[in-house]
Amino acid sequence: MNRAKLMLCVSAAAISLGTAAPTLAQEPVTLNIWTVDKTGQPTPDLAREFDESEADIDVVYREVNFADLMSEAMRAYSVGRAPDVFAVDNPDTAMLAANGALLDLTDMIEQSDIINVDEYFEGPMASATWDGRIYGVPKATNTIALFYNKDMFEEAGIEEPPKTWDELIEDARVLNDPENDVYGVAFSAKASEEGTFQFLPFVQMAGGDYENINSEGGVEALSFFKTLIDEGLASPDTVSRTQWASTATFNAGNAAMAISGPWEINRMADEAEFDWGVTLLPTPSEGSPRSSAMGDYNWVIFSSTEHPEEAFKALEFFAEQDKDLFERFGQIPARNDIDIPPTGNEAKDEALQVFLEQMQYSQPRGPHPEWPKISKAIQTALQSALAGSKTPQQALDQAQAQIDKITGK
Amino acid sequence: MRKALSTLWDGRGFDLLLVGIPLVFLIAISGSALVYNVIMSFQEVDIFSLGTFFRPFVGLDNYIAVLTDPQAWPIFGNTLIFVLCSLGGQFLFGFFLALFFNMQFPGSTYLRGLFLVSWVMPGLVTGAIWNWLLAGDFGVINFFLESIGVIDDPIFWRSSPDFALWSVIITNIWFGTAFNMILLSVGLAAIPKDLYEAASLDGANAFRRFYTITLPMMRPTIGALLSLGLIFTLQQFDLFAAITDGGPNNSSNVAQYWAWQLSFREYDFARGATVSVLMITLVIIAAVFYVRSTRHEVRG
Repeated sequence: MNRAKLMLCVSAAAISLGTAAPTLAQEPVTLNIWTVDKTGQPTPDLAREFDESEADIDVVYREVNFADLMSEAMRAYSVGRAPDVFAVDNPDTAMLAANGALLDLTDMIEQSDIINVDEYFEGPMASATWDGRIYGVPKATNTIALFYNKDMFEEAGIEEPPKTWDELIEDARVLNDPENDVYGVAFSAKASEEGTFQFLPFVQMAGGDYENINSEGGVEALSFFKTLIDEGLASPDTVSRTQWASTATFNAGNAAMAISGPWEINRMADEAEFDWGVTLLPTPSEGSPRSSAMGDYNWVIFSSTEHPEEAFKALEFFAEQDKDLFERFGQIPARNDIDIPPTGNEAKDEALQVFLEQMQYSQPRGPHPEWPKISKAIQTALQSALAGSKTPQQALDQAQAQIDKITGK
Repeated sequence: MRKALSTLWDGRGFDLLLVGIPLVFLIAISGSALVYNVIMSFQEVDIFSLGTFFRPFVGLDNYIAVLTDPQAWPIFGNTLIFVLCSLGGQFLFGFFLALFFNMQFPGSTYLRGLFLVSWVMPGLVTGAIWNWLLAGDFGVINFFLESIGVIDDPIFWRSSPDFALWSVIITNIWFGTAFNMILLSVGLAAIPKDLYEAASLDGANAFRRFYTITLPMMRPTIGALLSLGLIFTLQQFDLFAAITDGGPNNSSNVAQYWAWQLSFREYDFARGATVSVLMITLVIIAAVFYVRSTRHEVRG
């Protein structure tokens, strides 16, 4: 009798435990996060920290090669297996947003205590905005400016780095030294997004943009590039070299100036055996408006996600870490409210300040849902004028015709 | 019924089975992809409709768009130059080396084996190495040509529209020569030695022996090699990706690389598929010629 009672009690307890358990510990939600970041870059670490800080969220991180980033994400999206959180290259944001692939974050951001639109640089925020709604949060930002070899400038008796395009050409002529394998300037006009990235800011400074690429400003910018190539002030390999490879020639002392971005700073500090500095991109003439390229990614949430709230929590967590982004990973947060502490290396700190100033003038590419095609038209113009037989006007007229077809004008 | 079944392991049914299994396999693996590609070339496909099968049909729009694209004909021209020169170069160098090593001097087999190194390397590695050799400002090839006085100024192999395609062709010839050499060596080894002895006794000189014995006896090998070479050359993608990216200004772009660019750089999958279909048509025509030209030898 007693024994039977005990059994009953035990089984009753077991049943109540069994039913109580699910309400006590909820099934954890799984968030998939994809970016290009490798070990040592922000996301693998931040995703793990987020995973540890949230008991009921499991984070699965996947690294995707840059070349496959878009096609991989889209393939997954088209079969309903897109990641929840994704870092998209900023000019491609519009394409995803316009096709309904992204979650509209406008209302969530409005209610958020952590993400505040006003605290972000305008350019990056504009790239995350489509049709008046916000679809992304800038992950970090970068831009391009002019690196110069201070030793060479001093030796040639040039007191300060060029401020205008004409000054840049003049300085390049002085510094160009084929006997010793030194070019005036190194940059990239490769037929890839890198080419557009470097060329478009010059068009924008001269008053053009992708919608009116064959305007006077566009022609002026392309003629400026063409002069550098035609006079041998930049290596003919400019049309086939990446920014990283071009700047390597500057680090080796084979170019007196280089157009590139803050991602070069650490390598340059290690490799360059000369004094170097950074200055703002020269403008067409003194006092003309400035512009610069705007690189890096936007955090977005795919509209197919089953856990929008948890995904947004992840975005908030990442935004909170922006303050340490430069210190920990050497990347520049797209924020105007964060002061980056000095590193102690004078050249690096000076360079960072110039890039921060240049960043205020950075402009997005587009935004336009057909950006990859528009960019291709611009690259083709760049190549056919620099390596082909077309004049800048002819090359840009052809690009304009293609762009008009794409934008439907 | 039993009789019909029994032919499955002995007789006509067995033959059909032998043909059928690989055929089903071939259709499942390659055929379906091919058909899918052809269907895609008649549809409007972008990155967002990639996952659905029922996409709007646009008739011949993609074909018209591809063929009227100002880039198209220069690219097709480049493809033709690339295929003919790569194929010719690989074959001539390969044949020369095969004949050379066929003289069987001491160590010839080992040396021949060493030549295969170029074929064993992945295309991207080969491309990266040739990138260094062909570099404009500091390349070894320019240094060599300058020091023997052939050129005064460095040639910008990868960046000059006049040389970009040739830099890929040269690399591809280097890449494929060893493979040609090995297949041709096998063919040469299969020619009975007594034929040459008899010809020598009859007073035929080396040139005549080559022309009347070696070449005719090698015909099936050469045919198979050239058609394989055509396929390999039309497949060649790594070297373009590694060396010129199709640039500058499309001067070294070829159809196979363009198809990839359309699909995965501009996300225009339909036009990428269209270019592929055009290439497949070309290969099929070439294959038909090959089969017809070697038919009697296969039976003999």
